[in-house]
Amino acid sequence: MNIAMHYGAWREIARSRIRVQYMYRFAVILHFLLAAVTIYLLTVVWRSAYGDSTEVDGIPLKLMLVYLTIGNLQSKFLRPEIGYDIVDRIRQGQIGFDISRPVSYPSQLVATEAGLMLGMAPMLILVLPVAGFLGELAPPASWEAGIGYAASFLIAWLIAVELSMIIGLVAFWTLEMTGFMMVYNLVGSFATGALVPLWFMPDLLRQFVQLLPFQSIVYIPVSIYIGIPATGHIATALLLQCFWAVVLVGVIAIVWKRAMIRTVIQGG
Amino acid sequence: MQKLSVLGTLASASIRSELQYRANAVSSIIGGILFQITGFVVVWIIAARFGQIGGWGLPELTFLYGMRLTSHGIFYACFSQMFEFDRVLITGEFDRYLVRPMPPLIQLFTRKLRINAFGDLIGGTVLVIAASTAAPVDWSPLAVTYLILAMIGGGLVEGAVQITLGSLSFRFLQTLPLRSTVNEVFNLYGNYPNTIFPGALRWSLTFLLPIAFVAFFPASVLLNRAGELSVPLWLAAASPLVGMVLFSIAVRVWKWQSVHYQSSGN
Repeated sequence: MNIAMHYGAWREIARSRIRVQYMYRFAVILHFLLAAVTIYLLTVVWRSAYGDSTEVDGIPLKLMLVYLTIGNLQSKFLRPEIGYDIVDRIRQGQIGFDISRPVSYPSQLVATEAGLMLGMAPMLILVLPVAGFLGELAPPASWEAGIGYAASFLIAWLIAVELSMIIGLVAFWTLEMTGFMMVYNLVGSFATGALVPLWFMPDLLRQFVQLLPFQSIVYIPVSIYIGIPATGHIATALLLQCFWAVVLVGVIAIVWKRAMIRTVIQGG
Repeated sequence: MQKLSVLGTLASASIRSELQYRANAVSSIIGGILFQITGFVVVWIIAARFGQIGGWGLPELTFLYGMRLTSHGIFYACFSQMFEFDRVLITGEFDRYLVRPMPPLIQLFTRKLRINAFGDLIGGTVLVIAASTAAPVDWSPLAVTYLILAMIGGGLVEGAVQITLGSLSFRFLQTLPLRSTVNEVFNLYGNYPNTIFPGALRWSLTFLLPIAFVAFFPASVLLNRAGELSVPLWLAAASPLVGMVLFSIAVRVWKWQSVHYQSSGN
């Protein structure tokens, strides 16, 4: 019964966010068109870098361009806003209401983000032909790659939400987040592999990026899609993602518990 | 003359007010540097692995990136308030500018300083210096003077574009999304040799949106690569002058559009 009641609450939260995205539909389309502008630039630059060779390190140019096109759309799509939301609500004191609701705050946030993403999806589909024209689109390498990508994409979404939530929750201590958020976005955008896939990174940089959870957001799913899965196999790539998804749940649980203690001390 | 001293006072006041928040100032500058580093790392990785982009090697690409970044820093240090212009109009703050004995555009520019501009300036200068020995430039006092003038000119080109587009806000109130997008295109497309683009786009990025004049043309001149250009050498070499001309045209357009200002009331 509890779950059913919670489910209703989550659905309503998600629904309201879908409506919000629809209201800002032009801003969302512009957001994706900017991704298309980036995709076109990356396409030209990588074409020029490949020069006359059709294949470098076993990666054909065409696959590289498909990687960049899908990777950059995905990276714009999986950019959760809840981090900013949390900071705002903490600073304005509205967090008190959020916490006192019968549905836990972290789960409200997941529902919020689910709504925001679902609301963006139609706009993404509208921009898809443009991105395909400016970059390069192709179907998944095989049906296994397609299914693997779908699964990997869902985990990527979860990890992106978890990371954004952790960053936002840090505001319980610092109150001011803009600088930190900026660094996170930048390091994140690079470490996801959206601009340069991991296989072209210099060894030291690649080894460092492989220790971070960010590669799960773009590199792992898209590498599965084009048939060159990270870690060599679709299954192990998915396992690696699952590992991070679970670890981050643990981190959120700890941070959230401490944040709650802190809120009580402040007098709420 | 008196106007200049007022300008100096206003500018130093905005710098001092930013420096009051020291921690924020430092983190903004670091954030500014980091922001540009990610862009440069992409260039660096591709150039290191593939040896070239558009026939330009890593030292040359670094030099180009550094010049563009420094120009952007100059633009941002002087004209960042163009990005607040829509708000100044909508809130009626612009009314105040009209009753003060100082050109409104100067009051707008000295309104506030965006401290992260110094991140761009530092990052850009470091890249230019780092590339200066490895890049094939014949260094002479003339070359150094040209480099400095070119980077100022590049800042003026970016300023001219933002001021011209911003002046449309007098009629339409909001042009910020358009201008942010254009700024983004400058930030992305300006860092690479213009010659990698197909013909029509190369032309557009020269004459429609004068991105090539910001850094690509003067860098080509300094790197002795002007032979590859699709424009005559004199035009590429005149980039610093182009910046000044475009800027003075932009200020005129702005004045001409400002008669359409309708106060929102105060």
